[in-house]
Amino acid sequence: MSRKLSRRDFLRLTGVATGGVALAACAPQPTPAPAPAAKAEPTKAAAPAAPTAAPAAAKKVTIEFMNWWGAQRRPLMDQVITEFMAVNPNIEVINRETPWDNRDQVAATAMASSTPPDVMMSTRVETYKYAKEGLIIPIDDYVKASGLNVDKLFYPGEINNQRWNGKLWALPMPTGGGNSSLYIYSKKLFKEAGLDPEKPPKTWQELDEVAQKITKKKGDAIEVMGVDPVGGSTAGATTLIYWLVCNNGNLATEDGRTLTINTPEAIETLEWMIEFVNKYYGNWSNCIDFWTGNNDTAPDGRFYKDRLGIWWVNVSAFSHLKTQAPDKYKDPQNAWGVALRPYNAKNPKATHHGETGLAFAWGQVIPKAISKEKQDAAYKFVEFLSTNEKGVCAFLFAQDRPAPLISCNANPDYKKNNPYWDIVLKALETDISLPITPVQTEINSFIKEAVEKALLGTAKPKDALDAAAKQGQAVLDKYWKGA
Amino acid sequence: MTDHPSAAPNSKVTQATSISWLTRFRYRHRYLIGYLFILPWFLSFLWFDVIPFILNLYLSFTNYSVGPLTRAKWIGLENYTTIFTADPRFLKGVGNTLYYAIGAVPLGLIFAFIIALLLNSRVRGLGVYRTAFYVPSLVPAVAASLIFLWILNTNYGALNRLLGLVGIEPIRWLSRPEWVKPAVIIVSLWGFGAQMIIFLAGLQDIPRELYEAVEIDGGNSWHKLIHLTIPLMTPVIFFNLIVGIIGSFQVFTPAYIFFGTDGGPLNAGLFYMVHIYNNAFRFFKMGYASALSLILFVAILIFTIILVRTSDRWVFYAGGGR
Repeated sequence: MSRKLSRRDFLRLTGVATGGVALAACAPQPTPAPAPAAKAEPTKAAAPAAPTAAPAAAKKVTIEFMNWWGAQRRPLMDQVITEFMAVNPNIEVINRETPWDNRDQVAATAMASSTPPDVMMSTRVETYKYAKEGLIIPIDDYVKASGLNVDKLFYPGEINNQRWNGKLWALPMPTGGGNSSLYIYSKKLFKEAGLDPEKPPKTWQELDEVAQKITKKKGDAIEVMGVDPVGGSTAGATTLIYWLVCNNGNLATEDGRTLTINTPEAIETLEWMIEFVNKYYGNWSNCIDFWTGNNDTAPDGRFYKDRLGIWWVNVSAFSHLKTQAPDKYKDPQNAWGVALRPYNAKNPKATHHGETGLAFAWGQVIPKAISKEKQDAAYKFVEFLSTNEKGVCAFLFAQDRPAPLISCNANPDYKKNNPYWDIVLKALETDISLPITPVQTEINSFIKEAVEKALLGTAKPKDALDAAAKQGQAVLDKYWKGA
Repeated sequence: MTDHPSAAPNSKVTQATSISWLTRFRYRHRYLIGYLFILPWFLSFLWFDVIPFILNLYLSFTNYSVGPLTRAKWIGLENYTTIFTADPRFLKGVGNTLYYAIGAVPLGLIFAFIIALLLNSRVRGLGVYRTAFYVPSLVPAVAASLIFLWILNTNYGALNRLLGLVGIEPIRWLSRPEWVKPAVIIVSLWGFGAQMIIFLAGLQDIPRELYEAVEIDGGNSWHKLIHLTIPLMTPVIFFNLIVGIIGSFQVFTPAYIFFGTDGGPLNAGLFYMVHIYNNAFRFFKMGYASALSLILFVAILIFTIILVRTSDRWVFYAGGGR
């Protein structure tokens, strides 16, 4: 008996078949055959990575390095990885360069997952958080087995940034310092305003002349800005702390248990900032409008376009200057200069300082959730990246920025590119490693609010800082109670 | 193959057999087949909705940070107590979000409705207009927010330039706390296209003869709008209202693009979702963020129930009853 397949039957058949295919697609994939073991070559790595490291040979280990160096630096990082793999043929490193968007979320979920990246670039405060939650491993044993004297190799502030609770959790790369300790100024604008381009301001008081003589306004709009102590379209905890360390203040007591953000030095610092902004720019909102849309990594950045006398920068600024304003960069004698962040001359105990460790202070961490074999390989890569000439030195030299590894910075070619190199190194030496805890991000949010309230005139500096200190201290006390 | 003389009879038999088998199978296992079809949705519903919801409920009573769930310690109602008694940013977030909802939802509805009315008229090039008004809503929220970052610039932004033409002084949309939320509301209007399309579909569903009846009774356009269009559109308005309120309670992207996680000047852009995000991913207080999320869920649920319960007073369903 024959029967035609009706359209309805056909659709039913198709539906069942499609469903079956879809379900089959969801089924686990057959496990791929293991890759053939790499040829057992004697490893060229200088020293065994860890006391329990597997003997070099046999299986090739693949590790993922999650980082936020940005697409523009990818070729540089790829080069470092190639160099590493040349001396560690049994380790393959995948450069997982990750977009900056939603970084907090991406980093936290990646690290908390059961399949984290094998090495992850992590800020100091993140490292502390991961360590507190038991998500990463300390690397003291690896370092000991490698025979590295990290206290001699790195600047003290840099290596101390990676220590928490008596253990070392990462090796620094790049510098955590040089974030606040220096500035770049426009010799061109200095000359035009009748200021001596070879005598950049050393004190808060000397900044007045810069603001007074360089600033040009049209109504409320700032067309050319001499100098703004806030230095950007937003205010944050760093805005206050950068200046506070130049006024003999600190974020907290040495043991990290008591916040010192409402001391007389802190209040004086905030009052000075507000007075300065109001005196030369009318109010802070005018400054925000000036800064909104400014991008140091675009050619129309305020400094590149001769609209800014003093530019508060970190050590990545030289690379940006080179890329975005090459003509300016090539003329350090006439176009730009470098100096150390000014201090409060009215405070006899104050002197120049930078801070290290409050913002960024990157290191590479190794998750606990990965296999021992991968941890061993990951450490080898971390060590190469932070201590090898073809790692940290080459990578940071190519960006015209100093390294946390002291020996890198002795490269004479640095001075050829940057005649102010000695000042850059001086800045690193004067950096103070601030005592922070895993709850610092939340404390920073209170400081940020206080600074904003004071700058916008909705609270007096003392009241705002007292409130922030109270809220922050409550968070800190809770942390220490739990610790 | 079937035209092969020797193959034809067998083929027909095979086909008939397989179809009858299929019919029997279909009948015997008709429920199973039905369930099989909804299985993918059901699995995703379990995995992405039910399990996370239950987990969220549990975590809200713990001090969970990140990492293995075994580290989560039961702390009872502590998270909720802290939220309601010792977290000034909770109230700030709630206040900012309500401000936004009160501003963005009605404005969005009115704007979308008016444009839909205009696009429902018979003019030349209507298709072009409809496309032009709808396309902006397809632009991703991130891209739209980035564009508005420039449009709202105090000194160089297009909006202030336009306002300047009528003598209005530049407004500090993103740098003054009092203007931050209006700025975000303006950005929200950018996405009116989706609501507009729904309104347009509703408008086209209204029978023409009803309008003719109004005309016969001597009614003008205003009468048609007030006594016919709006009453008949109330189910659509109701739908857009609920969707709008749910969306407005979860506003995040523009604030995140404009101010990052900092919440803007004086936390004027710290919306409730940003507060949740900060606690979860910046402060690693996942348990606390779970409690905040649950409160948001309950708030949305309550608002929705209130709207549904009160809808019988103002929503007119043409098919029957109010």
